[in-house]
Amino acid sequence: MSGSIQLHLRDVVILNSLVVALVLLALAKIATLRPLKELPDGVQNAAELVLDWFVQQARRIHPRGVRTIAPFLASLFLVILLSNLLAFLPFPVLRIPPTAYYSGPLGLALVAVLGSLVISARLRGIGAGLRHLVWPNPLQLVSELSHTLSLSLRLYGNIGGELIVATLVAQVVPYGIPLIVHALGLIPAVVQPVVFTLLTANVLATALHGDGEDRRPSERSA
Amino acid sequence: MKDILLIFIPTLTLVPPAVAASLAMRKISSTALEGMTRQPEIANQIFTSMLVSMALVEALVIYCLVVALMVAAKI
Repeated sequence: MSGSIQLHLRDVVILNSLVVALVLLALAKIATLRPLKELPDGVQNAAELVLDWFVQQARRIHPRGVRTIAPFLASLFLVILLSNLLAFLPFPVLRIPPTAYYSGPLGLALVAVLGSLVISARLRGIGAGLRHLVWPNPLQLVSELSHTLSLSLRLYGNIGGELIVATLVAQVVPYGIPLIVHALGLIPAVVQPVVFTLLTANVLATALHGDGEDRRPSERSA
Repeated sequence: MKDILLIFIPTLTLVPPAVAASLAMRKISSTALEGMTRQPEIANQIFTSMLVSMALVEALVIYCLVVALMVAAKI
């Protein structure tokens, strides 16, 4: 949080987001390097284990749109998780997570909310997809805006607040105690992606079923 | 005077919400744990719902944190 970092804040956020994206692309390439097998083993097993939870979530939201919804939720989750875990790297610039400054979470929340609108438009047609914004209550437009605000502020507050607390503690006691604070920071770093993904799934479910149409009793548990 | 304001205003903005949220989270976690021990077969579902409700409570404290940060930047 020193002056020199404040100056280059925007660059750091962009740089670290790019690093996260590149790492994820490389991991995806590694996971699908060999031809996929019927009985998974090794890397493919791990990748399928990660994807399985999202496929279950997507199936619960909309059984026919799994191929659209599951990658959306999974990429949000992985990007946020990897961004948060950057804070635990021992390198000078790379250790600043892009989610610890408001621009990063705001971008992710905009992607989540606008993406859920786009997905609902793709699965139900543009008219029906956008109708839930104004029907049955026009104030749902405001709720969509507040979803963006609450998603982004929650992520920013957790990760950025953690960073601020760690910095303040390190100023008071430079040795020992910051390690404990940092280790405790692992909990929000892992829980927040889960929460963000679940709330995005909620927004998506509202966008898909909000006006009470197109909903069978079997989907009601979503 | 400015230093005193800088110390007290963000603190007073944050402490009451933190107390209220910890009470709410106590209720959420104790009820969720009770449910999990009663019905271990749906413990996963309960845990997920617990995370979401905790996040909703936590968000209110984070709004206060943001306000406190903005106030601290203004003073």
